[in-house]
Amino acid sequence: MNRNKMFPNFALSLVAVAAMTGCTKLNENLNSTLTSAEVSATPGSTAGLVQAAYADLTGLLHSQDQLFSLQENATDESLVPTRGGDWDDNGVWRVVHSHNWNADHQQVLNVFNGLNKLNFNATNVLLFKPSAQQAAEARFLRAIALYHLLDLYGQYPFREPGENLLNAPVVRTGAVAIDFIIAELNAALPALPTTPGAVASQDAARFLLMRCFLNKGAFLNKATPTFAAADMQQVITLGNAIITSGRYSITPNYFDNFSPDNGAKSKEGIFTYVNTGGVAANNGGPQARWNMTLHYNSYTPLNPNAGWNGFSTVSEFYSSFNTGATPTAFGPSDTLFDGRIGGRFYRGATDISGLRPGFLVGQQFNELNVATKDRKGNPLAYTPAIAANMIETGNNLEVTGIRVVKYVPDYEFYGGPAGNDLMIFRFADAWLMVAEARFRTGDIPGSLTMVNQLRALRNAPPLSSMTLANPNKVNDPNTLISERGRELYWESVRRTDLIRFNLFSKPWQFKTSTDAKNLLFPIPNQALAANPNLKQNTGY
Amino acid sequence: MRILKIWLCLLVIGAPSLIFAQSKTVTGKITDNRDESPLVEATVSVVGKPITTKTGPDGSFSINLPADARSLRISYIGFTDRIVSVAGVTSIDVAMAASSQNLTEVVVTGYGGTRRKDITGSIVSLKAKDFNQGLIQSPDQLLQNKVAGLEVTNTSGQPGAAATIQIRGNSSIRSNSNPLFVVDGVPLDGSSARPNLGNAFGSTPSSNPLLFIDPNSIAQIEVLKDAASAAIYGARGANGVIIITTKKGSAGPMQIEVGANYGVNAGFIKRFEVLDAGEYRGALKKFNQPATFDGGTSTDALKAITQVGFTQNYSVAFSGGNEVGKFRASFLGSHQEGFLKKTALDKYLGTIGGNYKFLDKKLVIDFNIIAGNYGEVLTSVSNTAGSTGNIVSSALSWNPTEPLTKNGLYNFPSNGSGNPLAFNDAYSDKSSVNAFLANMSVSYTFLKNLEYKFLYGINYGTGIRKINVEGWLPGIPNLSTLGNAAIGDAKLLTQTFTHTLNYTKDLGSKLSLNAVAGYEYWNSDFSGGSIDARGFKTNLTQTTRTDIPYTSIFQNALTQNPYNTFANPTSEIQSVFARATLNYLDRYIVTASLRRDGSSRFGANNKYGNFPAVGVKWAISNEDFMKSNTLFSNLGLRASFGLTGNQEFPAGSSQEQFILNTFTTFPQIVNGNPNLKWESSATYNVGLDFALNKGKIYGSIDYYNKNTSDILFQTNAIQPAPASISFVNLEDANLINSGVEIAIGADIVQTNKITWDVNANISFNTNDVKNFTDPNTNRDNFVPTGQINGQGVSGTLAQVITNNQPVNAYYLKTFGGFDSSGKQLLSADPSFAGDPNPQTLAGFSTSLRYNKLTLSINMGGAFGFLIYNNTATAVTNIAGLAQGRNIDKAALNSGEGVSSGVGASTRFLEQGDYFKMRNATIRYSVGNIGNYVKNFSAFVSGSNLFVLTKFTGFDPEVNIDKSSNSYPSRSIEYVPYPTPRVITFGLNFSL
Repeated sequence: MNRNKMFPNFALSLVAVAAMTGCTKLNENLNSTLTSAEVSATPGSTAGLVQAAYADLTGLLHSQDQLFSLQENATDESLVPTRGGDWDDNGVWRVVHSHNWNADHQQVLNVFNGLNKLNFNATNVLLFKPSAQQAAEARFLRAIALYHLLDLYGQYPFREPGENLLNAPVVRTGAVAIDFIIAELNAALPALPTTPGAVASQDAARFLLMRCFLNKGAFLNKATPTFAAADMQQVITLGNAIITSGRYSITPNYFDNFSPDNGAKSKEGIFTYVNTGGVAANNGGPQARWNMTLHYNSYTPLNPNAGWNGFSTVSEFYSSFNTGATPTAFGPSDTLFDGRIGGRFYRGATDISGLRPGFLVGQQFNELNVATKDRKGNPLAYTPAIAANMIETGNNLEVTGIRVVKYVPDYEFYGGPAGNDLMIFRFADAWLMVAEARFRTGDIPGSLTMVNQLRALRNAPPLSSMTLANPNKVNDPNTLISERGRELYWESVRRTDLIRFNLFSKPWQFKTSTDAKNLLFPIPNQALAANPNLKQNTGY
Repeated sequence: MRILKIWLCLLVIGAPSLIFAQSKTVTGKITDNRDESPLVEATVSVVGKPITTKTGPDGSFSINLPADARSLRISYIGFTDRIVSVAGVTSIDVAMAASSQNLTEVVVTGYGGTRRKDITGSIVSLKAKDFNQGLIQSPDQLLQNKVAGLEVTNTSGQPGAAATIQIRGNSSIRSNSNPLFVVDGVPLDGSSARPNLGNAFGSTPSSNPLLFIDPNSIAQIEVLKDAASAAIYGARGANGVIIITTKKGSAGPMQIEVGANYGVNAGFIKRFEVLDAGEYRGALKKFNQPATFDGGTSTDALKAITQVGFTQNYSVAFSGGNEVGKFRASFLGSHQEGFLKKTALDKYLGTIGGNYKFLDKKLVIDFNIIAGNYGEVLTSVSNTAGSTGNIVSSALSWNPTEPLTKNGLYNFPSNGSGNPLAFNDAYSDKSSVNAFLANMSVSYTFLKNLEYKFLYGINYGTGIRKINVEGWLPGIPNLSTLGNAAIGDAKLLTQTFTHTLNYTKDLGSKLSLNAVAGYEYWNSDFSGGSIDARGFKTNLTQTTRTDIPYTSIFQNALTQNPYNTFANPTSEIQSVFARATLNYLDRYIVTASLRRDGSSRFGANNKYGNFPAVGVKWAISNEDFMKSNTLFSNLGLRASFGLTGNQEFPAGSSQEQFILNTFTTFPQIVNGNPNLKWESSATYNVGLDFALNKGKIYGSIDYYNKNTSDILFQTNAIQPAPASISFVNLEDANLINSGVEIAIGADIVQTNKITWDVNANISFNTNDVKNFTDPNTNRDNFVPTGQINGQGVSGTLAQVITNNQPVNAYYLKTFGGFDSSGKQLLSADPSFAGDPNPQTLAGFSTSLRYNKLTLSINMGGAFGFLIYNNTATAVTNIAGLAQGRNIDKAALNSGEGVSSGVGASTRFLEQGDYFKMRNATIRYSVGNIGNYVKNFSAFVSGSNLFVLTKFTGFDPEVNIDKSSNSYPSRSIEYVPYPTPRVITFGLNFSL
């Protein structure tokens, strides 16, 4: 072989090598995620998209710093005082309670984004050939997102399925916005199943419709809400359908509605988020509900990180239970007082950590009935008084504020994920909405009867008379709004309720602002910067 | 052909003088003055006569001189020419001093090399002799303070931790702004196969992705700073390029090089000053705190978590070869104990390379294989520790009057500080990475000036990591009484296929051409998985511990999360490129290059981008009118312009993606943007190279302006959307880095007995974000980042990326002193509070030799930036005193009361300016011992000996990853792994 012959051979082999590694089209292989075409082609994928929309509820509703904070810390039911070196967090908690938030507030942004993620994921289901029930579930879940967006921000962005995500979507507000939600729920309802629980049911749709009709007047004019008789009648009709269905009853032990096994014990769950203890796969668990309020030393094995020692309620709200004197040295026996205050022995909690669920005031004890101490060695005795500027600086900074433990800690999975199901829509709320609608349509005796029926089941004495609200005393015990507070405290409905009862702009403890702009949260600056169709709410 | 004729003529003319004028023979030996190693094939010539010879394998030479010869010129690539007198001598040994000013040496410029004199851009080339010395774990440390405009920030004292590497400032507003690393022609993808694994204490610092490269095996490193130089790497060149070339065998007898060294940690380079027991008692009294807080003893918790820590490194290299075949093989075994107890880094690396020529040397086969394993043992140091703390935060806040152990068990006071020794004992985190980087190339010279080359490169790495946290550790939710375990794995595979044609030709006597053209295909895959569990039955109390890790009894756990796996989208880049350099008369040089890159990451509408560059140089000193000048031995003016790209965003961002998630959910997770394309940086560079006084003083000055546009921005998605972010190109936005770099060197003394040289560099950079607005609404983008962590400051962000500010400008509430009750006064709203990016970088190194003793020093620093002290904000603030925890001295003396409250503010911004003694080494070169041991030398070396700074934290060279929502942070300190001083002793010899 001479050189000249060899050269072409060599060159050929080079070409062969080049061809082997040759031109690629540069289509990106995703490797562990699917494109939308692949999703369409995968049987069963639509069910996964529906599940994804349900899963969007979890952080939004479980976390202490999302919907809960905006709906509760902004009201008289809850606040987070700064305790020395703890819970300053750049003032985010204090401004929510004092109504001094602005359009850069992280919680205002996170809730907006969280609700819109649900808005998107529910809408996206409709693009992937859903069954009738899947489409109905998706429209129901989207309605939840739109309802909260309208309630909190006064407007919501809306995309049709398959819209280009790089384009700014339209924004709906006012009557168009609420009417669309109602129409959607009415359209979805027939295709939903009847069994209540974690899957959207017909009753869940009815419940959300009740909220829409009850709050419609407030959504259209938050400063001076009006209540159309036709809307109230809708609330009554829908509510009666739920009440007479035979699927629900008031659970005898109030805290069984919130226990780690509430899925089995409670008969009040119309729409719940089912959590499985110890399994992180559903990314849930309501453990923040007790961690956020309990003291660091509340549970011996986790001292000094058993709780975050933050959230408290104010004594004014506590006084709406009408227990008489200011609750300083509180020690309810198992037979006294409204059962919803708690303070009673609860198996699975008191025998494990000494905790008695409900409102925690005064000396706390461990499971051996030994008095617990705070980190400074002072008695761990919660006191109702909180510093007026919500900044605790004294020697007692770890024990100020009445604590509220509504969800009974799941001591098997204390740090989480805990097994308590989250009550999203609860039967007692539907009951009280009907009572309210009857009151607002003039049937005051019927309304009072319903309230007293509920109170009797809660071991509370009957009210002799009741008004809707007392504009001069937010926490007047003899009002329907207070009954809602007593029943539904820390269930993320208080802000909406106070607005509907025209009390949200009244002062209460540590909140002096009466500015009507606070009836709506601002549109987050980040969202305004991205979508020119969003309009900032008045006053921001 | 003409050139050949000229050479023939020279030979013919030279030959008679060889024959007729000889009268004397001089013999001698040429060595490197650093280690007395022989210089093989050095040129020895008679000044003024056409007589030359070359040194042999042992550096010796013999030359015949005419009677009138007065001196010899010795020259060797990479060394300064020496002229020595031969008057009256017949034997002469010359120790040569290395020089960075040799104009004919080849600088690696990517896909080939360029003679230094033909360089038109801004490239710094460092040889092994120039590297930083002392304890070096990864190649980037070799460069610290050696290159103007290159910032290598060690972000952690953990051996093997990743460094923040930036060339010419921060040119990215995404998380990765490190330069592209190319090792022996193989571009790396910048990731490490050490799995990322969450644990109870937050995210751990990243591992250095270059750990598998043995620093001893590196021959030279080129740093391509300007876009004209880096543009040959196209869409990956925007952050600059660092090209690493490993050592190769050379023709000559078989050689064995042996090195061994031992190191010990010698304390903190700088301590974070908290109160000692006496001061603490005083503070309790001063602030009226309960006497029960006094535990009655004296404990230095910070010292308790550290160890002396020994390091051993053993390396051996074999090399040898002849004209047609050369090889080199080297091995490194290294065990380094960290400064914090239990931590360590082990490395076992082998490097084998060869160069073989066939077919009359026309066919050349080159290969280089790096294979090895490294293991890291980490402790509970974390970037984002919250209120439960970690080893460092608990040591800082440990009550110094409390003993750490009582009756042989860990003491847990109820103040929430945690016990640092218990953290260390209960936590175990071990990773092991197998890494393999190989390339093989075939080149064939099929026309006289035309060479074809095919290179295949592969980088393969697999890693496994196991974390155990024992359940007896109290006070930690989801851990205490349960125990946690996690196992992670990762796999990295990158392949390169490169075809190049290289053409070199003299076009007439005045013009020469060097051109390269090629095609390249590169792909990269990264995948992995992790599994975790909690709720074990063992090791739940201090007194009943077993030595069985949870990761060995995984199935025992009550709660097990499923094995979660991922495979990132494949990244592919397909490119064609070409570069040509024309040199006219050695006076006017033009280089132009073009790369066309297609990348799979880009959107369907924008797959390909073009990256052109052009550079010119005027070698003024070669002009006729400079012939008579005696001042400048070299004077050149350079100017270049180039366009480089950046594609460092998460692969898959251009496509809508749906993930198959846990709990049978199936959400869309990426919004998709089919218009996504590269970010491009246009850089102008003007430079002046000079050498004065026969090359004894040399240096360069560069001015650059780097304008990054089409910024790849992680923007807020337009809600409603599946993900809160999506990637877009901001077409009108600019990120501008501009600055000046000055590098100066001087060979002050060069005699056989004494040599002394000095190198210094300084660079100034300013960084500005311009036109940074949202394309939909024209509002300024305002991206908060820089997480501040710890109790009481959750959710606080300290920095912002926004218009008309430096990247990561501080945005904090203003501190206004204390009120009468000792509470800190903070403004209601935050405002811009300064720049975290160093504006000035400086490096200084010197080497002084007296006979066989050489002292080398390397120092450097960064200036003109602010550090945020998150540790002082949240861990050692005065509120801790009221809980029985320790506080820092600044807090004690501030006039603040114990109930002042915690908050992030300008109070904790500190000047970051520092100057560090990075390394000082004294080496004694014994020379040959007996017949076999050659070039024996011994050294003692100190690394991180001291730092001059006003910063009150551990080490002002700090950049803890405090990114928020994937937006990067800069210059925030938070309970870092402290930096130790390290003293190393070692010896080297060859056989």
